[in-house]
Amino acid sequence: MSMSNEDRLIKRDRMRYIKNKPSANLAYLAILLDVIYFVSIYQSDVETWYYRWIIGVSIVYNLIFMLAAFLSSEGVKNYQKNYTYIELALGVIQFVRIFILPVPAHNATLTVGDVTIQVMHSAQFTLCVVCLIASGVCLIASGVINYIKCNELAAHMKTLENQNA
Amino acid sequence: MATLSLQHIDKIYDNNVQAVFDFNLDVKDGELIVLVGPSGCGKSTTLRMVAGLEDISNGHLFLDGKDITQTPAKDRDMAMVFQSYALYGHMTIYENMAFSLTLRKENPNVIHKKVLAAAEVLGLTSQLNKKPAQLSGGQRQRVAMGRSIVRNPKVFLFDEPLSNLDAKLRGATRREILLLHKRLQATMLYVTHDQTEALTLADRIVCMSMGHVQQVGTPLELYDTPNNVFVASFIGLPPMNFYDVKVVGGELQGNGFKVSLTAEEKATLAGYEGKEITLGVRPENFTEGSDIKVTVTNNENLGMNTLVYGSVGNTGVKVTAKLKGWKNYKVGDTASFSVTRKHFFDKETTNAIRGGK
Repeated sequence: MSMSNEDRLIKRDRMRYIKNKPSANLAYLAILLDVIYFVSIYQSDVETWYYRWIIGVSIVYNLIFMLAAFLSSEGVKNYQKNYTYIELALGVIQFVRIFILPVPAHNATLTVGDVTIQVMHSAQFTLCVVCLIASGVCLIASGVINYIKCNELAAHMKTLENQNA
Repeated sequence: MATLSLQHIDKIYDNNVQAVFDFNLDVKDGELIVLVGPSGCGKSTTLRMVAGLEDISNGHLFLDGKDITQTPAKDRDMAMVFQSYALYGHMTIYENMAFSLTLRKENPNVIHKKVLAAAEVLGLTSQLNKKPAQLSGGQRQRVAMGRSIVRNPKVFLFDEPLSNLDAKLRGATRREILLLHKRLQATMLYVTHDQTEALTLADRIVCMSMGHVQQVGTPLELYDTPNNVFVASFIGLPPMNFYDVKVVGGELQGNGFKVSLTAEEKATLAGYEGKEITLGVRPENFTEGSDIKVTVTNNENLGMNTLVYGSVGNTGVKVTAKLKGWKNYKVGDTASFSVTRKHFFDKETTNAIRGGK
């Protein structure tokens, strides 16, 4: 059903008082998916394969990611355009992260005694990749929605200002 | 809007304590009724029964002619404003006002229109993005009213909405409620223990005491022709002076004073010759004259008026007089007063004695 001009106008006007919850919720979901990803990685115990500097960096990055994503969720909730760019950057990095830990771990094998084992089984690999992709998509979607809404709200506010002038 | 009819309503609690006795009232469409009385007189209980928050023990409640005695509160189409505002602290003013409609899953655009319209009426448009904690008490109470307005209920119920406000805000918010009523032309039931609120807001006042309705009438009727000693003492500030007097000939004889009666007053008291009655005199019905000699105990200048407190000679009979203008009585001075308007009450029943009745 198409929206009338008045409905469209009211929908825009509502943004003055209603927070951008869809964007904020997508950011929260991205954090949740990232948590599932790193819990899956950190519970892995395959000899000493994971005991490298990259794990330390991963831990620090996860902390930074959660903080930045949470702050962004609060920012986009209040229609702050700058947080769009942070979310887009965080989203893209989530895709890149697939190639930093999951892919090398999936490709790596270890020989324990006489048995050769795969460091990351396909099921865990799939889970990690899905979580990172979904997390990245959520952040990018959150950023894009916020960007569009910010522009709509700015235009609406300008119209109101002109009407009041 | 709506008419409301309360017929023979009683409230009896499980422990057999009866809070309301045979309450009868017909509220006209668009009328503002104020239930007034001291704490514990049953006014809030009555309001809660109307709202559906308390069961009605006996009697019937009709809304627009439909019996809603057993109808649950949520289906009564009434909105209640509480003393404590009952706002959600984590929500903005907009969200608070929209909340009830959101729960009903109304169209967000319709909700938006209603909230903005209510905010405009209440002067809250610039506050919509704030949280309740950022507002003053008066503004919070307006939000509570706004939350009721957006629902467009048939009846508004107010349970001592101004009690949490300081005196200045109370006056301002009271005027806003009156303007709101004029604008909405809504049927309203308003509970207060403050007679000033009752007198200034009401189309009609229901004065209650100990669960019983003492008088129903316009503010002027309650002030000018109180039904009994309770109403006479409750309505009016400072309260009415009461004296035990004896009707002798053409005058009233009290402890230490005599007051003459007019021909009309004599006719009213024709059946009380030689009997004791209660004489009521409002402080503003005293003027400087010669009937009662009073030893002044206090003199309070209020600007336009002066409150003079004293006792009749050395009898201990107290007198409070509200005299026009600025007076300078000293403690111990003797002041002489005349009475311009008298109220008579039967000493046994405490009911008013009126001519022709």
